[in-house]
Amino acid sequence: MQTFLQYTILGLALGGAYFIAASGLVVTYTTSGIFNFAQGAIAMLAVFTYWQFRWGWGWPAPLALLMVLGILAPLLGAVLYQVVMKNLRGTSEVTKIIVSIGVMLGLQALATWVWSPTSSTPRQFQKFFGPNAFAHFGSLRVPWHIIISFIIAIAIAVGIRFLFVRTRSGVAMRAVVDDPELLQLNGGRPERLAMISWAGGSFLAALAGILIQPMIGSAMSAGALTLLVIDAFAAAMFGRLRSLPRTFMGALIIALTTTYVVAYFPSKWTWSSSFRNSLPMIFLFIILLVLPQDRLRGATVLRLRERFRMPSIRTAWIAGLTMMIVVFCLKVIMAKTGVNTLTLALTFAIIALSLVLLTGFAGEINLAALSFGAIAVMVVYHFGISGTGTEARTTLWGILLAAVVTALVGALIALPALRLRGLYLALATMAFGVFISRMVLTERTEREIFGLKFTLFTSGQLAIPRPKIGPIDFNGQDAFLFLCAGLFVAIGIGMVYLRHSGYGRRLTAMKDSPAASATLGMSVVRLKLSIFMMSAAIAGIGGVMMAAQVGTVNSDRFDIFLSLALAMITVVGGIGYVSGALFAGIFLIAFIEALNLMLKKFAVDYSSLEAIFMFFISAVTVLPATIGITMGKNPSGAVSDIVEGMNKVKQSKPLMITVIGLEAAIWALTATEVITNWHFVILTFANLILVPIVGGKFLMARAMRGVPKPVPPELIGIDRPFTDEDLAAMDQALNLDGVVIPSSTTVREEPANASA
Amino acid sequence: MPLLETIGVKVRFGGNIALDDVSISVEAGSVTGLIGPNGAGKTTLFNTITGLQPLTGGKIIFNDKDVTKEPPHKRTRMGLARTFQRLELFTTLSVRDNVRVAGEIRNHWSLRTTKMDVNAETDRIISLVGLSDVADREVGEIPTGKARVVELARALMIQPTLVLLDEPASGQTEEETGQFGQLLRDLAGEGLGICLVEHDMSLVMQVCETIHVLDFGRMIASGSAESVRNNPTVVDAYLGAPESVG
Repeated sequence: MQTFLQYTILGLALGGAYFIAASGLVVTYTTSGIFNFAQGAIAMLAVFTYWQFRWGWGWPAPLALLMVLGILAPLLGAVLYQVVMKNLRGTSEVTKIIVSIGVMLGLQALATWVWSPTSSTPRQFQKFFGPNAFAHFGSLRVPWHIIISFIIAIAIAVGIRFLFVRTRSGVAMRAVVDDPELLQLNGGRPERLAMISWAGGSFLAALAGILIQPMIGSAMSAGALTLLVIDAFAAAMFGRLRSLPRTFMGALIIALTTTYVVAYFPSKWTWSSSFRNSLPMIFLFIILLVLPQDRLRGATVLRLRERFRMPSIRTAWIAGLTMMIVVFCLKVIMAKTGVNTLTLALTFAIIALSLVLLTGFAGEINLAALSFGAIAVMVVYHFGISGTGTEARTTLWGILLAAVVTALVGALIALPALRLRGLYLALATMAFGVFISRMVLTERTEREIFGLKFTLFTSGQLAIPRPKIGPIDFNGQDAFLFLCAGLFVAIGIGMVYLRHSGYGRRLTAMKDSPAASATLGMSVVRLKLSIFMMSAAIAGIGGVMMAAQVGTVNSDRFDIFLSLALAMITVVGGIGYVSGALFAGIFLIAFIEALNLMLKKFAVDYSSLEAIFMFFISAVTVLPATIGITMGKNPSGAVSDIVEGMNKVKQSKPLMITVIGLEAAIWALTATEVITNWHFVILTFANLILVPIVGGKFLMARAMRGVPKPVPPELIGIDRPFTDEDLAAMDQALNLDGVVIPSSTTVREEPANASA
Repeated sequence: MPLLETIGVKVRFGGNIALDDVSISVEAGSVTGLIGPNGAGKTTLFNTITGLQPLTGGKIIFNDKDVTKEPPHKRTRMGLARTFQRLELFTTLSVRDNVRVAGEIRNHWSLRTTKMDVNAETDRIISLVGLSDVADREVGEIPTGKARVVELARALMIQPTLVLLDEPASGQTEEETGQFGQLLRDLAGEGLGICLVEHDMSLVMQVCETIHVLDFGRMIASGSAESVRNNPTVVDAYLGAPESVG
């Protein structure tokens, strides 16, 4: 009984803190329509900042609280909204999700930069009123911190309810989501209200973090705190992202179950701590299963700002061939470590292809691509290896089996969420990713199920050999590089074929308007399921290749944050393009690696400036997230810009010859070792990006000489007389095609069907 | 037996009653009009018939079967198609592909024996509705009036027995509307059931045999075009009751 009460009280307090975080999510979501994946990261940042003030610098608690909760947290929320989130109106759900994930990764990188995780003394965070301040109820001792947490949670719940129902700004806040334009017409200021709600949401996140950290009791960790948000997600889902009372209930249920598991599960069950960690995710799934079917959404009211043009099949073949040639040329000049990095980058590009297929073609999102890779790797490890020692090879059948299993697991994960909006699938996959890293990849003990002895993740790392397919052995690094490049090209071209097929058109139809697709007889859920399974299988194959490149993988290789970063960078690259996936792999693995190496080399070479270069090395960790955050400005991705630049090159022969000639010269110089690889990288960049821009400007200026400047439409007829083209353009715009205007000097033919 | 029947259909959004006890019927081989002022619940009724909007009460009978609980795509597979008032075109596809994909969706769910030659059927439908001149344009570039015709073409591709048309003529020129009315009569002549929501009264009076009138979610009149035209309640609903004008 004593234990029960003790843990119930702890559970209630923890539930209160979960609720505070979850209510922040609900508030920002209902007012800005953006689901804030960074909620946990904000909480984490607040915890670290508070620690710095309170114990790092020894400030008194009230001052530190005022600084963090009263000033910094709301300020962060407001700035986030003004600088980042405001630009997201009219973008797709995917862009919204990705940008807030960018914020999450950015804050996390920032925290690990400032508060190094390898610090010699673990940072301890104490309960309010000290670790030994207890209130006594009979024989029961309850820490004051716990009591305070629960009281604050109830106060917040009542306060928010009052704000939304009774105050003018609260009602206006709810109106923002329903119809921002109407609200504006009625004198409301949606932008300001959304900013206030973000400040409030950020405050709530910070408060929750500061209350939760001492209850967990362990040393502070940026990753663990950031992922705490999953618990809050589950609670917010319980309230369907709307109802605060139900969110409160959800938070309590999750927290109580968690504490009871800790209290009552026998300690000899080795999996109970993983199980406790995975509970929120299990809850999330149950909630997804019972949520009622969403109404089928029509096309988004606004025309989406994202535009993706599909290349023709011919272009795809040319691009594929070009890529193989480029990979070959690079291999010739690169050092062995360079070839390793390039291969790894290509394996990540294959995994990113799974995202292009799912998100770019079908508009759904998977935030745990690498977790599917992990599943495939486990399958290959157990069933797909022939031979031992240095003779061990991954078999083709092993890879195919892994793809099938991954697809089936994908189906299992996606099925409950596919009836719902894309956001729910994103959450389900993220929860799945956390579940895989917490529960499955920590499975090192041997289990016996139905007499079958089994260890999922033997000794924390799995050795995956290179594949041997038929008579061809891909054990050598070069052979494996070409295998990965070939695989990427094959899957990429296959995807372009798919996009041009009836299946691809049906996908596009579903993405453009699920409602219209359903009323044409499409089973939307089945189509989504098929594409999700296909995508999971590709992620699985990519994962196996990645493991085969690394050789021995541990659970860190499949970390959820890496999955998130990959998804983010793929969207940045251009989620609608196969080349967007290539961009993601190269950027995330090769570019960051190269930048790091270069900076380190500089730091050694110019030791007087070492501090500056070390600063830049740290800054590189924040770089991907920073780029992710800028997505709101250019939702179609970087690749589309590059493609635009390339088009300029393609249109002008002299420019094309210049670029290719220069590149060949640079390559030849490197191959003959006149210049180093670093110079090659820098010169190539300059050649491919700067030459088209400068050359394009130059050519344009030359071409424009002698050509009259275009006259704005309202001045046609004043500055210069009407031409036939002007009249035709006007008819077109006014929908007067085929109408014969007597005074017009041009005679148009009647359309053939006019008399039908 | 009518092709489609709604029996006492009721839809509530919170405290707001969008449809209250609405019963209409549509016969095969005829054009049935559904009119009423803005916000009367016409589109909501279409949404309930196609399954996009769950009912609070009532029943939907299509082809002698109670389809109230069926999901949208199952109803479509029984021969029900529709167009949308707020255009729901596949904006990243061309006009031809918009029509073609509808046939591909149909082929995907139909039995092997009833599969159609999608390309031939696409060409036939496109010339039937008069879209040949814009067939290869991006669907986002064409005028609204034409876009509505694309919606109709898409609906016809699944070879339905009943089409619900939600304001198909708005945005069309007078000439286009004339051709459109003729097209509707031709289609009905071939046995297709059509339910038409429209604000262009001359078109409605020209093509509809039966007309149902909705106002504030209630049926206020129902009958032949002639009787509805002379019904004082209908006139009030459209023009405002004389006493309220004062």
